Amino acid sequence: MPKIKYFIQQSWLLIVSSFCFGLLIAASNAALSPRIELNLANKLNKLTIVLLPAAKQFMPLDADIEVEVRGGKKEKIKLYKALSETEQCVGWSFKAAGEGFSGKLELVVAVDKNFEKIAGFDVLTSSETPGFGDQIKMSYFRSQFAGAPVEELTVVKTGQPTNIDSEIVAITGATVSSEAVVNILNSFLSSIKKQMKEKGLLGDGTK
Amino acid sequence: MAQSNELQTGLYKRALLAGLWEQNPTFRLLIGMCPPLAVTTAVKPALTMGLSVIFVLVCSNFVTSLMRNLLKPHLRIIMFTLNIATFVTICDLYLRAYLPRMSEILGAYVPLIIVNCIIIFRCEACASKCGLMVSILDAIGMGLGFTIALCILASIRELLATGCIFDLRVMPRGFVPWLAMQMPVGAFVTLGLLLGLASVLTRKKRS
Repeated sequence: MPKIKYFIQQSWLLIVSSFCFGLLIAASNAALSPRIELNLANKLNKLTIVLLPAAKQFMPLDADIEVEVRGGKKEKIKLYKALSETEQCVGWSFKAAGEGFSGKLELVVAVDKNFEKIAGFDVLTSSETPGFGDQIKMSYFRSQFAGAPVEELTVVKTGQPTNIDSEIVAITGATVSSEAVVNILNSFLSSIKKQMKEKGLLGDGTK
Repeated sequence: MAQSNELQTGLYKRALLAGLWEQNPTFRLLIGMCPPLAVTTAVKPALTMGLSVIFVLVCSNFVTSLMRNLLKPHLRIIMFTLNIATFVTICDLYLRAYLPRMSEILGAYVPLIIVNCIIIFRCEACASKCGLMVSILDAIGMGLGFTIALCILASIRELLATGCIFDLRVMPRGFVPWLAMQMPVGAFVTLGLLLGLASVLTRKKRS
């Protein structure tokens, strides 16, 4: 008993203030989290609408789709169905992440409704080297992906970037960043496509 | 009576002004050096970081000063950390809700304010020993000193790396951007030169 008394005598301030600070954080979180979620959704929508101009709204898909990330771990991802004004499926979009040259690289990827052609990608977060790796954000590099087939993409060092095929011409001086983008796309696209086929979500695209 | 009033005003003035030059955390004391190196690629994120630090410093000094007579010596550090972590979390949530772009650029550096030693140093050296008014003025002074240091570093780096300040073009059209200034090397070189300058200025003042 005296031990408990001693414990409380020593730490009552810590216990009381932990409780108060906890309440303060909970209240701020409750007040701000709707806005934070809205910001995230808006950003994703803004980027995806540029990639899929026919889309008017995006509906998250309920099906569980998992992608193998670094280290063999599986991660659940959220797939969005892009709907046109008449509620027809015009494509799919999702967030893909992987390792870049100097840190995490997060992309938003859009594909057509049959998962046959990539509609494009954009960079959500990256810490690639300014002037070199961060050119993955530039349209001259990104436009190589718009219309490219959903199959194993390869990086080549020389070639014509205007040719739309599965060969992606690397950015000069930033081969690692270019490869990082292609690797992310390859791993996400193939495994998502496979799982969507298994679940019967592809085909007419209306299911 | 008049003399004690004068004494108090002098104390307040010293508390407010110390952080600006004499005990400037970045240029004179060299503490909390992570943000000056990491978030000074442009003025906007540097300013946001500075204002966040001012908010956390003022709040944590205020709370620490209020509970200074209740603090047990062996539990004081954990109390400071708890206190600082709470305000940093609130600040992080606020940035994510209302300044999502800045929050994205600053990334992990906002939560890392928790381990910024300027704040715990001021809690220990000032707020846990002084009254409310002195603690708050000290926090404002130190925070402003830190913010000004960040902004000076950031404006030099942004100007040389992009030719702009606050996204406004300053350099003439023919200016070739020094991309290295945006990389860590730019931060180290600029900081080193500014520290040298600060040291020369102090020596001149003394002699």
